[in-house]
Amino acid sequence: MTRLAVLDAGTYYHHRTIYEPRYHDFFDEIIYTRDLPEVDLSAFDTLLVSCRTDPSVLRPRREQIADFLASGKTVVAMGSTGHPDWLPDVKWTDTPTNFWWWKEGGEIGLKIAAPDHPLFTHLTLADVTWHYHGYFQVPDGAQSLVDVGEFGSIFYEDTVSTPGRLLITSLDPMYHHGSFFMPATTRFLDGFLPYLKGIGAGLAKRTSVP
Amino acid sequence: MASCLFLQPIKGAGNDLPDVGDYVPDIDVVGHYDLETADLSRYPALCLPAHLDQRFFGSLTSKIEQFLNGGGTLVFNGHVAWPMLPEFQPFVPLNRFSLEDLQIHRLTDHPVFEGVATEELTYRRGVAGFYARGFNPPPEGAVNLHGVGPDRLPCDWVYERPSGGRIFMHAGNDLWMYVGSSDTTARIAPQLCAWASGKGPQQ
Repeated sequence: MTRLAVLDAGTYYHHRTIYEPRYHDFFDEIIYTRDLPEVDLSAFDTLLVSCRTDPSVLRPRREQIADFLASGKTVVAMGSTGHPDWLPDVKWTDTPTNFWWWKEGGEIGLKIAAPDHPLFTHLTLADVTWHYHGYFQVPDGAQSLVDVGEFGSIFYEDTVSTPGRLLITSLDPMYHHGSFFMPATTRFLDGFLPYLKGIGAGLAKRTSVP
Repeated sequence: MASCLFLQPIKGAGNDLPDVGDYVPDIDVVGHYDLETADLSRYPALCLPAHLDQRFFGSLTSKIEQFLNGGGTLVFNGHVAWPMLPEFQPFVPLNRFSLEDLQIHRLTDHPVFEGVATEELTYRRGVAGFYARGFNPPPEGAVNLHGVGPDRLPCDWVYERPSGGRIFMHAGNDLWMYVGSSDTTARIAPQLCAWASGKGPQQ
């Protein structure tokens, strides 16, 4: 099974997401972000960079993360982490966030871009739909998983920019799950963490707590 | 001397947090991890964002207690998760989130909330639940300011420490997120700064 390490930036919402029983057992290692320089990442297959981790802490670790990717490993970078500052080939466009589309009319405009991707045995469009803070231009040869209108992607997989695999998203599920807000973000984590661990969708559903 | 020192939030890309300095003059701002070396004796009040590295802040307990013992005011927003100060206890979430459960009730009048309608704390653009979804249990002797839900669980409180200083607690998003709003919640940030700095009404 995939050995999954997760970054904890010390926030209350990371605490709820990472340490409370609902998801705790998915993580083989919890790394406080400021301890990252002392951690040997070679023991892990996947590094999950939690949403809203401060880019000022990640920027000096760019080389360590590049080395991890160079060894064929996976980096998952969630939203509001300043991706372009510390990852290669990330092209980001910041947009004002529409928190209110669901109440005040209009559509958020998200669509699944790769329905056959294994991620979508774990997640539906509704599970990735709350709001987004901007979008990415997907590098040539990489695969968008969730598009926003005709603008770009809010979630893509890149196996071409490095010898490893990048999963890049603008979604910030830990912040909202950890704030007891927005049920879609909890459903997202219910599906996404088993996917990262390589656990089948059926098991994921059975282990979900209502 | 500036009225309050605001700690910058942990934050990545995205512009979903307002800049309080655009609305409240006379504040200073310090980078998140620069708090470790900041000279707090220059400020009457320190205001913490909900996007706080609580593990980092919890490593500064003796510095913060020194600031409080000297008469400082500490404003905390968010949910308590890590050990930080002896007056703090872990956040207790509501176990239901119905409209009734999310109603905000005023328990004690306070200068920070003078003229602020609780209805406008409960609802933001017609949606309930932004203000508080639980509470950080107050220490004995704290004055509860707002309660959430039918049990009026103390989501806001103020505590005068016997050994000096004050703690102003809000178990939710930054109180200054309302700066620039078109309703009475816009009063909170300037009134908070006036009270915390000791320059405005105190009771």
